[in-house]
This record gives sequence, C-alpha cells and structure tokens, in this order.
Amino acid sequence: MGASQRRPCLTAKLYWEAELTFKHLLIGALLASTIATPAMAQANTDITVVLSEELDLVEPCMATRSNIGRVILQNISETLTELDVRGDKGLMPRLADSWEDKGDGTWQFKLHSGVKFSDGTTFDAADVKHSFDRVFSDQLTCESKRYFADTTLTFTVVDDLTIDVKAEPAQPVLPLLMSLVTMVPSETPMEFVRDPIGTGPYVMTEWTAGQQIVLDRRADYWGAQPEVTKATYLFRSEPAVRAGMVAAGEADIAPQITAEVADNKATDFTYLNSETVYLRVDGQDAPTSDIRIRQALNAAIDREAFIGTVLPAGTELAVAMVPPTTLGWNPDLTPPAYDPELAKKLIAEAKADGVDVSLPIEVVARTENFPNVTEVSEALVQMFNEVGFTATLHMVEVAEHEQYYSKPYPESTGTRLVLAQHDNSRGDPVFSMFFKYDSKGTQSGVNDPKVDEMIAAASAATGDERAALWSELFKYVHDDIVADVLLFHMVGLSRVGERLDFTPTIATNQQLQLAEIGFK
Amino acid sequence: MTKLISQRVIASLLSLLGLLILVFFLSRLTGDPAVLFLPIDATEEMKTQFRALHGLDLPILEQFGRYVWDFVHLDFGESLRKARPAIDVVLEAYAWTLPLAGITMGLVVVAAIVLGSLAAFNVGGFFDRLVSIVSLIGASAPDFWIAIVAIVVFAINLSWLPTSGVGTPWHWVLPIAVLFIRPFGLIVQVVRGSMLTALSAQYVKTARAKGVKNLPIIFVHTLRNAMLPVITVIGDQAAAMLNGAVIVETIFGFPGIGKLMIDSILQRDFNVVLAAIMVTALAIFIMNILIDLAYGLLDPRIRN
Repeated sequence: MGASQRRPCLTAKLYWEAELTFKHLLIGALLASTIATPAMAQANTDITVVLSEELDLVEPCMATRSNIGRVILQNISETLTELDVRGDKGLMPRLADSWEDKGDGTWQFKLHSGVKFSDGTTFDAADVKHSFDRVFSDQLTCESKRYFADTTLTFTVVDDLTIDVKAEPAQPVLPLLMSLVTMVPSETPMEFVRDPIGTGPYVMTEWTAGQQIVLDRRADYWGAQPEVTKATYLFRSEPAVRAGMVAAGEADIAPQITAEVADNKATDFTYLNSETVYLRVDGQDAPTSDIRIRQALNAAIDREAFIGTVLPAGTELAVAMVPPTTLGWNPDLTPPAYDPELAKKLIAEAKADGVDVSLPIEVVARTENFPNVTEVSEALVQMFNEVGFTATLHMVEVAEHEQYYSKPYPESTGTRLVLAQHDNSRGDPVFSMFFKYDSKGTQSGVNDPKVDEMIAAASAATGDERAALWSELFKYVHDDIVADVLLFHMVGLSRVGERLDFTPTIATNQQLQLAEIGFK
Repeated sequence: MTKLISQRVIASLLSLLGLLILVFFLSRLTGDPAVLFLPIDATEEMKTQFRALHGLDLPILEQFGRYVWDFVHLDFGESLRKARPAIDVVLEAYAWTLPLAGITMGLVVVAAIVLGSLAAFNVGGFFDRLVSIVSLIGASAPDFWIAIVAIVVFAINLSWLPTSGVGTPWHWVLPIAVLFIRPFGLIVQVVRGSMLTALSAQYVKTARAKGVKNLPIIFVHTLRNAMLPVITVIGDQAAAMLNGAVIVETIFGFPGIGKLMIDSILQRDFNVVLAAIMVTALAIFIMNILIDLAYGLLDPRIRN
C-alpha cells in the first residue's frame, strides 16, 4: 500500500468497538483489539481536541475540575449564570434570565423558558433544586460543594420558572456561585453518572474509556446553534505528541503544550491562564516573622530574569494572588524591584535587632507543578543565598507537597517557603483570599486581625464597594505587611489548527466552549 | 512433569496471597486518597465524607478483612476515581496490553532466533558484526527518545503513520516498533551466544561430516539445544511487557496496564492498584508455567 493510498485510512475517524468480556480477554484479545469498522465520513465542521489527561468521570457536578470542565461545562451541562472571563461583560445570564436580591439573604432567579434537556424533558425550577441536592448529598463527593462551605442554602420553588435561594449567612456573590453548579434533570440519581444529561448544545454520544469521548451537536438546543457539529476528545499526556497531532492534522486544538514545542507562530497561542505562582511565607516562623526578612526575600529575586528563559515569554509579574481580570484587582501595585543590595541591608538591620538570620530556609516545591518548576526553584534558592540567606531546595511529589501547603504545617527549624500555584478564573477574589490570607485559611501564612476583618468586609460587600474593599486588601497584603513572595501570573500555551477561528484565553484553563469555536 | 507443574501452581497461589497482603498494607502507607481526589480547598467535612463513602475511615484490619472477603468472591471493589468496578478498569487496560505484548514478543522471538542463529553460524563475518552492532544499539537506546523521534519522522514529517492512538492497525506500528527494539537487542545476543556454544558440539561436527546442509544444522539439530537459556530470557522480557510499557503507553496514548498502574499508584486508587497487580501476577504465573512446560518439551531430563 502506497503512502497516498494509506493516508485517508490513517486520518479517518474510526469507530471502534471491542468486546471487553473476560472470555475475549482470555481467548481472543489479540483478534478483538485489531478489529476496525469502516471509517465514517467526517464533516469539515467536526473537530478533534487532544487533552493532556483522560477524564476519570464525566459527571456534571465535577465540572469545576478543569479536565472535566473542558468537556462538560457549557457544552453538555449549563449553569444558571455565566461569568464572561474572555471579555468584560461580567456575570451574564445562561439558564437564568435574571436574578434579584430579595433581601434577608434571599435571591430570586427567573429561569429561561422552553429549555429542554438532551433526554427531551423540560428544564424547570425543580431541576435546579435537585441539582443542588446532588451537590450537597452525602452519597456523592461533588467538587462544587466546596464553594458553599459554611453556607446553608434553602431552595423554594415559586413556580416552574422561578426559584428562591436563601443563603445563611447571606451570600452577596450567590449569582456568581451559580456559575459553578451545572444543572441536571430531577431524575438524575444520587451517584456519579456515566451518561450526563444536560441542557447544553451538545450531547455525549460515545465514551470509550482510555480512548475518546465524542460530543454531537443537538438539533433541539434552546439557544443559538454553534458551528462545530461534532467534537472528538482524545487524550495524550506528552505535550510534544499533542502539538504534533495538530501539526499532522490529526487534531485541531491541543491545550497545555509547553514552550519547548510551541514553535509555530501561526498556530501556537500564549495567554494568561489564571494561575499565579508564589512562595507562601509562614509569618509565625523565625526569621520570616520579621517584615524586613520578608521584604529582603522579595528584593532578592530577579523576577524578570525568569521570563523568556525558564518561563515562557508573556508571563507577567504578579502583584496579587489573583489574575488581573479579577474584581478589585489593584493597578497601582508594582512588583518589588530586584535589589540585592537592599536585601542585604534589610537582613543586616534585622540581624542587628536580634533576628537570627542564619536560620535555615527550606524552599518546598512540587515536581511537575508547572513546566520547569525545578529550574525556577533552583534559581530562587540561588538568589536567596546570594543575598545571605541559608536556603535549600526540597522537591516533593504532590501528596507530600500537600502536607507542607495546608494546615497544620509541620514543625521546622527555621522556616519553609512553599512554592505553589493558585488558580482563580472565577472572577472574584473571595475564592482565594480567605484560604490564602485569613488567619483561619487552610493555606494561609498570615495571622493578622486586620486582614481577617478586611476579608470579611469585602466578602459581605457588593458592587463597587466590594471591588474597592478587595483592592484595599490587595494593597495591604502586598505593600503593608508583605505577606508572601508573589512571583508570576502564568501563561498557557495552546496549539490551534489553522482552519479554526478560535483564540484561547484565560477561560481555556477551566473550560473549552465549543460554541466559541468557528471556522475560517 | 505433572508434579513440577503442581508444585508451581501451589507456590504461585502462596505468592499471590503474600502479594495481596503486601500490596494492601503498602498502598495504605502511601497516604490518604481524599487529599488527592478532592481539591486543595476542600472542606474537612468533604474529606470525611469521602473516606466514609469508600470505607477508608474503618480500622485498617477491618478494611483488610472486608477486602479479602470481597476478593475471594472475585469482587475487587470500585475505583475511587472512576466510580466503576476496579476489575473492569483493569481488564479493559489488559485487553490492550496483551495483544501489544503478544505481537511484540512474537516478532522479537522470531527475529532474534533467526538473526541470532545466522550470526552465530557466520561468527566474525559481516552479518554477525551487523547484528551485534544493531542489537547493542537497540539494547541501550532510550525508549522515550526513540518514540519521540519515530513520531516526528514517520508521523509528522513523512506522514506515513499516525502519531498515536489505537484506532486502526496502522496505529500499532510505531508502538510495536519502539517496544521491539530493546528485547530484540537483548535476546538476539543471548541466542547468538548460546548458539555459538551449541555449534561447537561434537554432534554438529558429525552432522557436517555426514553432509547435512547448513540450515538443517542450525534450525533442526542445534537450535533446540541452544534454546533453554533463550527461553529464560524470553520469559523475563515477556513478564516485563505484561507489567505494561509505561513510556510507550504514555507517549503513544496507548490505554494499557502500565500507565493505568502508575496513574493509580500516584492517585492512590487502591482498588485499581490491587486489581491490576493481582491480574498481572496471575498472568505472569500462567506464563511461568508455560515456560516450565516449554523447558519440559525441549529437554527430556526436566520432563523426567
């Protein structure tokens, strides 16, 4: 067979069915696994997306997990509201046409009429209640439950298209939180499902574990019809292979490639990906309990030197735990300047005042946290030692990293600086600031009553006041108490085939809405 | 021979039992699966609920007792991450690993025996040197590098083959080719060495003196006597392949048992880890018994 004859066979999308019974496994695995049915024609509006990891679950209530969200969120399952992360429209209606604060912690949501699930049933207020019942069920461990910690929600179905949600204590960002919970029909069981039913423009038509997931466009979708008729998701963990698949025409979109393989300007996109890299500093430990030491740590780092070398060009210097697209982001903050002489001076001053600056500083970093994490960590340690600190590096696996990252922190001689990456693409700092800075925050190194009060005030505020309070808090933790060592707002790299009209953005980190993809 | 096989079966069952105990307790020592399954900002209540749902809050001995009870009923429990029976997850992966390992080892054995024997027969000649160089390169080249280069050359630049995946028979070419190289390099060297010894035996000289042609001397008279050490190495290499080919599976997106096991260990999906190890151990025990039978077939002294 010549190459020209073989090529259509290689690129055709084949449907493949192997009987995975024990009998076949024992007597005919070899034969069964090489049976291929004839290729089916592929429309030029069908696309293939190659993701970095296979989905363990295709469960709507787990859609806030990024690898699941990229397939499910707003494609199969929709939410009541939707945050415009790509643009500046803020919180937008999706399955809810409008919402109103009725006071006393109660929000009323008016639902869109005429919406049908992919099983043909009509979407109504009872489905909203059931969707939340699943999230809070003790028979499931839904990820989105974490956004409602310490909040009790009571649902009152007013009529088919109206539902009241009472939050105790009052939750000013409840409409925003509604963008994190996907809607399922009332008949959905209290267990993880493998055939998700949603109101979205696509329905899952095939899931072959280990190989592919296929979504087909619904003809009866309630909204505008997207251009993409069918999406096939493949899974390859090696970035070079993902990039190569787009180059070879086997795939159209490959999110999360690395800078090393992103060598084609026509197809490779760089964009802020909502991840912020920072060193968590424990303000209770010596010597980092002294603000001059924390300032010295910040001044010791030549942040610019990392960009375009071990980190991709386009990486931005961080001045807050959240990316610039977040509510209340403070444009007046500037990253600490690289000033090793200042760092040495601050250390000397602290030492003169009795601070034991010789105490060891252990930088704890997680392997594979982001590309070149080892090189970044080694450079940080080197920079600390150049100004006079006694720093060492401890690279750990994800499970061990968690022991250092979350409370209770293990005892140490001296202190530990934990290199971590935090994701907030939700548009509001409430999803970050309590955990990272409140004295009760799980990953906080701060114990400052003023910070606690500011977080509480900003979390309870709404509108412009909320933005202003968050902005003040960003300044306080960055400039006044120097709570940590903020480093970089990271960028993502994705390869997009030239036939597509699609530009990846910060939103691509958590979801990949097929409706936003067009063709040239 | 029957006695030998019986002893092997009993020893294998005891080994399985020991493996079960070892893997169960060692896997529990790696930490709490709730920490990895749930997001980092999950509440303590969510973690407690996860542990209760999966019986991870019970005393360790009670967990073990329940596991053994389920195990004797061929119930391996449910995957913590995939919410499906662990044995289904493992058997699906094995359905890919078995043919991959089977086809590759089949090709390796045929190629190594033929080329190794011919090299030994022409010892010191051009063909012998060529086979030796190729096999040494094969035995020492890193899989990862070969796989990436193969994709770049044959899939991206030449467009002859798909980059990865399992959709058609063409998808199998590169994974098999990459997997083939290392065991071929090793086994062909063993065949060559073993054949060199066998070819110097008196009965070969006698056969030559009687006018027997070269090919019958190699493949009829000598090969059988040279095969015992070769079978030992083949068994060793086949066992490695039954454990999965993690690098090849990872790069080529091949949904086999190796990557599943590594992922399950890293994610603390205990039930899948245990099921995968048990099924793999069973496969290796069966293969070892087949090798014992092969010994018996080749050497009457063992049979008796």
